[in-house]
Amino acid sequence: MIKESYNQTEEDELVKACLNGDKNAFGEIVNRYQKMVARTVKGMLGDTVFAEDIGQEVFINLYHSLSEFRGEAKLSTYIQKIAVNLTLNELKRKKRFFSLFSQKANNEMHEFEIADYDTQERNEAAEIVNKALMAMDPKFRIILTMRMLQGYSTKETAEILDLPLGTVLSRLSRAQEQLRNILAKL
Amino acid sequence: MNTSEIKKLIISSLNANADTVEISGKLEEVGVTYNFSHNFGDKVLNKLFSAGLAINREVEFVKYMNFAFYRVALTGVAAIVVLLISIFLMQGSISLNSLLGLSDNYDESIVCLLTGN
Repeated sequence: MIKESYNQTEEDELVKACLNGDKNAFGEIVNRYQKMVARTVKGMLGDTVFAEDIGQEVFINLYHSLSEFRGEAKLSTYIQKIAVNLTLNELKRKKRFFSLFSQKANNEMHEFEIADYDTQERNEAAEIVNKALMAMDPKFRIILTMRMLQGYSTKETAEILDLPLGTVLSRLSRAQEQLRNILAKL
Repeated sequence: MNTSEIKKLIISSLNANADTVEISGKLEEVGVTYNFSHNFGDKVLNKLFSAGLAINREVEFVKYMNFAFYRVALTGVAAIVVLLISIFLMQGSISLNSLLGLSDNYDESIVCLLTGN
């Protein structure tokens, strides 16, 4: 079981304690959800130093926006949304940076990301997963990350990505097609 | 799990009605895991609360600057008012000449001073 799920009442108490300035309560939230955030951020950006920085930013943003959390959705969903937004923003920033130097921004960005992985010793499964993720178009990569790494259903994926269910379904089939082509070359 | 099984598993995660919880669990078992550095939590808390202290210091500095400015400004205004009142009492008006300390017989005084007559 990958998805983190905790008692709602306990989570509400943790949030209340954080809002009252309890640093330990926030530390507990970080400990509980850091693996979940790592899967999203590293799945999308690769295992780089930037990913760790974005991971930290996710929790810093969470701390500052905790007063806006109404408890209507699960805390994990709220954190996941922050992680997705920050990660997609980072990808856009990266793309802009590469486009300053080259016309083939996307291709070079993918090459850069794949090269990051080549330098690391990983087991075969992890290597296949990471190479496939990095070779995918970011809008399909996020879908694959949510499904394959986080274990979210189609409905949960749509909720987290703020997309209509129909859009997610069509992206699933297009992402699957792209994934087949990528994996055939690996 | 061999390479083709891993690939099939990855592809199947994108089936609309796939059991994604089971797939992600299987992948984790074969080593597809993601973690931040071991002291990630401490780094977040340090960044968060040391940044908070810096912001507090900045806010306090601005507050003290505002306070100091008001004190200096009020003292200055009070000094100007006292000066105007004293000029009015001594000169009987607050014209430009009286503000500059010049009397109406200024020209004559200057001539006397320069010629000695």
